[in-house]
Amino acid sequence: MTELSDELLVAYVDGQLARDQTRAVEKVLKQDDVIARRVAALREAHGRLEAAFEAILASEVSEVTAEAGLAATPDTRLRQSEPNRSGLAKAGLATAGIVVALLVAAAGYGWPLVVPELGLLRSRPAPVQPAEVTAPSWQSDAARAQSLLGRASLEVSLESQANRDLIAFQLAEAIGPDMKLPDLAPQGFSFVRAQLLQYQRKLLAQMLYLPATGDPVALYARAGEGETPPVFKTETGIGTVSWSEDGIAYLLAGRQDEAVLLRLAEKIRHEPKVPEPKVPSMPTASIPVAPLPAEAVKPSAGEAAAPVAPSAPDETSPREAPAPTGPN
Amino acid sequence: MQAEWNHDSDSIRHGLIAMLPRLKRFADVLIGERREGTALLSRALKRMLAEQHRYQRGTPLDRWAFAEIYRLWLHELRDHADPMRQAKPLDASFERLFAMDQAEEFDGLTASFLGHLPPQQRSTLLLVYGEGLDHEDAGRVLDSTPETVAARLIRASAGLADRLGAGAQVPASATIETLYPKGSKEQHDRAQ
Repeated sequence: MTELSDELLVAYVDGQLARDQTRAVEKVLKQDDVIARRVAALREAHGRLEAAFEAILASEVSEVTAEAGLAATPDTRLRQSEPNRSGLAKAGLATAGIVVALLVAAAGYGWPLVVPELGLLRSRPAPVQPAEVTAPSWQSDAARAQSLLGRASLEVSLESQANRDLIAFQLAEAIGPDMKLPDLAPQGFSFVRAQLLQYQRKLLAQMLYLPATGDPVALYARAGEGETPPVFKTETGIGTVSWSEDGIAYLLAGRQDEAVLLRLAEKIRHEPKVPEPKVPSMPTASIPVAPLPAEAVKPSAGEAAAPVAPSAPDETSPREAPAPTGPN
Repeated sequence: MQAEWNHDSDSIRHGLIAMLPRLKRFADVLIGERREGTALLSRALKRMLAEQHRYQRGTPLDRWAFAEIYRLWLHELRDHADPMRQAKPLDASFERLFAMDQAEEFDGLTASFLGHLPPQQRSTLLLVYGEGLDHEDAGRVLDSTPETVAARLIRASAGLADRLGAGAQVPASATIETLYPKGSKEQHDRAQ
């Protein structure tokens, strides 16, 4: 077995080694599976970092290009500054106009339509269209919630919903073998029903729980990847906790406060996986699948929590000022 | 002379405008959040345009602009009441930096990993892996040595590789094998 430091392997992956060193590492890679796996992991990390920065740049290009459009049409810009925008578009547009205003004022120019590079920018992802960012009304929010539902969503067999094992097995078959249908009764939330929705051609499971008093909570699950810890955030007045485990992405949503939702999320994370069904054979009836319209909203953790009532915009989140931490 | 100066001023303005998305990405990644990142970029651009006489001809404009943004961030940070407070952008804030129309390809694990890194380490990764700067140039922007840049890259890459779960740990008792052919190690050491 060979021991090569990460220092050397990262330099190798990054192409920073001299030719003879590169050859030496490649020779080791052919003979040592452990080192080869480590290099593969470092390569994947490198690739993911590059892709992440590319994605951020694409987002910046979209925003700057959108700002260029906004600067040219003040009326549109005014509409977009209205409250109650939703999701990521809201966050992106919260800053709309700052850079444009600065550049116009400081440089004494209009938006640099003559700058050749802007042509390149405009060929990148399309700017946000006004129709997507106008302030949503209760009607549009209700329509969005409705888009998650279909006739089949309401045609739930009481028998199958009563058979929790069967439901759990069907969910696991649809979403993934490690899918959970947690029992939250000890926490005071009774399982009511489950259904399968569709979101961008992917199945989305929804499990509904009802406490003795107050609003229900919903657990959404869809096939995902990786392991991410629970993160709480508020989306248009609905508290959400999202995390990933065992190849399943979960979202817990409800009007309960943060502490309650985080406690439930922890309970679910420690819930055992779906057991094998206790029924000897599967009936033909299955959990209803509700088709989702093609014009469905863009995916975000909070948007899966529909239906929701319109509320004040969640414009900002408290941020701690960054601090230098030395050369690490 | 005056005409030439005006021409240079215009070039700087146009250059900054043309690279606005890249500068904005740098500011956003440095701070870890879009709203404050945009505000930082706005202040930095104002300063760059007001003090463009400090720009040295021949210096790549993007490196100069990145360095100006970083210097301003550091300067403002030193005036902060609690400058040693760790930067902890919320996951949600950092995730908003990613393209809205590519949610299907969104890599939550990498986004979360980046969001929890110290700002300097995040910026180092961006300059080298996102902007393609070599270690020396990245070090000039961040007022660090190339060795520090390399150390940050190693730490971050190894950390992400570990988190991906594919990282194979080499046992401490592993046999150590030199990379250099027999006899060449001494030559290499002498050459250092």
